[in-house]
Amino acid sequence: MEKTTNKLQAKDLVNVGIYAAIYLVITMILSFLSLVPIFHPLLTVICPIAGSIPFMLFLTKTKKFGMITIMGVIMGIVMLLTGMGYYCLLTGFVAAVLADIAAKSGNYVSAKKSVLASGIFSLWYIGNYLAVFITREAHYQHVIESYGQAYADSYMSFYPNWMLPVLLAACFISGIIGGIWGKKILKKHFKKAGIA
Amino acid sequence: MDWQVLSSQAENKGIRLDPRTKIFLLLTISILVVGGEVSGIMIVIKPLTALIPFLLLLSSGKWRQAICFTTLFTILFLCELLILPAMGTSGFLLLFFCGLFGRLLPGVVMGYYTVSTTTVSEFVAAMERMHVTQKLIIPLAVLFRFFPTVMEEYHNIGDAMRMRGIRIGGRKTSKMLEYRFIPMMICSVKIGEELSAASLTRGLGAPIKRTNICQVGFHKFDGCMLLYGGLMLVLNLFRAIGLLW
Amino acid sequence: MLEFNNVSFSYDAASTSGQISNITLTIPEGQVVLICGESGCGKTTLTRLINGLIPNYYEGDLLGSVRVHGDKISEKALYEIAPVVGSVFQNPRSQFFAVDTNSELAFGCENLGWPEEKITARMKEVVADFHIQFLMNRSIFALSGGEKQKIACASAAMMNPEILVLDEPSSNLDLKSIHELGKVIRLWKDQGKTIIIAEHRLSYLMDLVDRVLYMRDGEITDDMSIQEFKKLSREEIARMGLRSRLPIDFKQHYKTASLSDEQITMSNFYFSYGNQPALQIDSVSVPKGSVIGIVGSNGAGKTTLARCLCGLEKKSSGEIHMDGKSYSSKKRLNLCYMVMQNPSHQLFTEAVLDEVMLSMDGNEDDQVTAEQILMDLNIETLKQRHPMSLSGGQQQRVAIASAVASGREIMVFDEPTSGLDFRHMEEVAAVLEKLQQMGKTLFIITHDPELIQRCCDYFLFVENGKVKWSEHWNEHSESELAAFFAEENGL
Repeated sequence: MEKTTNKLQAKDLVNVGIYAAIYLVITMILSFLSLVPIFHPLLTVICPIAGSIPFMLFLTKTKKFGMITIMGVIMGIVMLLTGMGYYCLLTGFVAAVLADIAAKSGNYVSAKKSVLASGIFSLWYIGNYLAVFITREAHYQHVIESYGQAYADSYMSFYPNWMLPVLLAACFISGIIGGIWGKKILKKHFKKAGIA
Repeated sequence: MDWQVLSSQAENKGIRLDPRTKIFLLLTISILVVGGEVSGIMIVIKPLTALIPFLLLLSSGKWRQAICFTTLFTILFLCELLILPAMGTSGFLLLFFCGLFGRLLPGVVMGYYTVSTTTVSEFVAAMERMHVTQKLIIPLAVLFRFFPTVMEEYHNIGDAMRMRGIRIGGRKTSKMLEYRFIPMMICSVKIGEELSAASLTRGLGAPIKRTNICQVGFHKFDGCMLLYGGLMLVLNLFRAIGLLW
Repeated sequence: MLEFNNVSFSYDAASTSGQISNITLTIPEGQVVLICGESGCGKTTLTRLINGLIPNYYEGDLLGSVRVHGDKISEKALYEIAPVVGSVFQNPRSQFFAVDTNSELAFGCENLGWPEEKITARMKEVVADFHIQFLMNRSIFALSGGEKQKIACASAAMMNPEILVLDEPSSNLDLKSIHELGKVIRLWKDQGKTIIIAEHRLSYLMDLVDRVLYMRDGEITDDMSIQEFKKLSREEIARMGLRSRLPIDFKQHYKTASLSDEQITMSNFYFSYGNQPALQIDSVSVPKGSVIGIVGSNGAGKTTLARCLCGLEKKSSGEIHMDGKSYSSKKRLNLCYMVMQNPSHQLFTEAVLDEVMLSMDGNEDDQVTAEQILMDLNIETLKQRHPMSLSGGQQQRVAIASAVASGREIMVFDEPTSGLDFRHMEEVAAVLEKLQQMGKTLFIITHDPELIQRCCDYFLFVENGKVKWSEHWNEHSESELAAFFAEENGL
């Protein structure tokens, strides 16, 4: 009950699990869109925006350093378990630590810093795309050797390399937009409903 | 309600693997199949690694899934290897998707196997054996417990929306997302608070070393699969340092 | 021994009702205490003070002290209280932490670091005591509400606590499960445990408790022995806002209203879950404009019937014939409206008035109509509130208001009075009567005999997915109902 302690307590850890579940349910429902190829890159916009709403709600329960970090690592673990590869472990950890630092710099109450944290946290999502770029980079030389330069170039034109920073930016900006939207919804719904 | 991230009940069919073995194999597949090229020795390593989820699906009695997966993987792999190069530049988009799905598929199938054959208690027990901190184990256990509950809320709200005539193309289409997700979040958070209180009254988070009655451990089959995965990784290492082409 | 010394508490969160003041109380070892009173009187707060959730989880201003064997609860951490005080809560869905029954039972002991052998040995004892062999090694998600609650009780018993605290444990249970719950409490009583139960339903506890505390506005206004409590007259009990102490006697009460000749016919209702047939109704007619009680045991197919009736099961066949028209499953989505057991699933907007207007077509005079509906249902003062901030009963009314606004002819209620105290049950009954006066046809799934004798005038008795009998009040239906409830009560 000591509000003074900075150690994470069972209550905080349970909260992380609950919000992670809500976040993942929303993300996964929307991810079904990716079965349509055109939505595949667009998910870096859709998922962070939608995910930021529970994330902003989560931030209202966050008062200590570490909760956001754990949330990020959990995203990575779930992606690993569901066979999406291990890149998210890395991006999840890095993005979440940075988001945690951002939120802490605002003492976990500053509205601006929360929105920023939401933007940074959303960067974890890029881990789901890294495989495409990294694999293809390794593959590129091989494609040139086997099929010639022209072929290789057209092959690279889908998800060209400059797409990586674009997707990264898309995640960040969408996370910010989602964060701002989330703030509004906090006021409009969650505060009135007595859960924030 | 099949919306569980890990199953809640032991499926007694087939040979059981330790969750740690499954995680090792997931990593192996991620490294070799997702990241690998398709030349030289990789032409052998890749399918041999992709064989792992196939074997495991068979060992757990999931015949249909095993056959579906293998057929699909073979088609995608052969396409990428043989047919598409012959098609010239026009086939690049197809090549891309064959390559992409061919790479992701074994991982996803391995994920499906892991998630459907591991119980939450086994997973928690395995994490505890690996000395993972409680700071990760508690939220993960809550996540697996809570995921189906959130899904249930989501479906209940969907029913209510249909009854109110809020549907795509109907009235208030623009607010669909808000109407669907926000009550879901509010209901879930409220249930979550009760869950949190209930688990605290049962000593969750006590600063005592936790025990676990769930039995996990390595058996012969674990040994075989670990060796097999390890062999693939070693072959890949040899290739990387130039011992194999 | 449990002592409250001049305890007052109010929650930080302004929206939470249930503050208590100046409670002084001593509960000796082995006593079984019932705390009763209307919703919001502070019963739950009292239980939270005993199991330590106040002040460890719910924050607020606490004065005075609660002591167990002389130790102050507020100075202990929750994990230190856990082995001494076991808790069972209201909602079976939200109080389990593990997902399979074995891990759930072991959970508390594992947290406290008991050695594995000791846990397994204790688990054997508890399983035998509770007769729950058949529930072991199962997914908790697959259990019924009553079974979940039994597992919750068994889990609380695992650490063998001296004190057990139950907060409205029967709210979400059917009569059979409530009877089972009574047996569990009997077992604990025989083991000499101190038991504190906050509860609305009284009849199953009358032979179990030793002492009754009656609370009003956060204070204990009556503290009596069970003998004294039993002597109170029926009128006094009703005035205190309490539920009946005895099983209901249908004879004196039933309405003899004349029923309409117009009929609503349901024909060819079939539905199955996988290969499991869940509903098989060839044809059944009910009088239009009546209040139809759907009665039957758990798992008989009542909820499936209701869902099919509302057109929520896409794959269900069957038609409804009314006023010479027939309605297919899809059309029924706009004819029927189900008020769910948890109405918070069906409220979407940010204010009650918007919620009602959401169901309308967007005409100019909508707001006037909406306000009139709110007035009719006595919730006009809530019109600017966020629906999710309301109590369950109020949410239910908002859901009803939106159904009225959308002009639905048929309304289906899923357990509208589960977990409600007497006054709120009466309020629901009054609303149902009002809807009937508006000419609506109401179907009510219920396990609440008091509601049945108060409101229903026609019955569908469901068994194994079929309608076993359907009749208005007469000697046959009355004796069937009496027999059904007697059996459910385990008499």
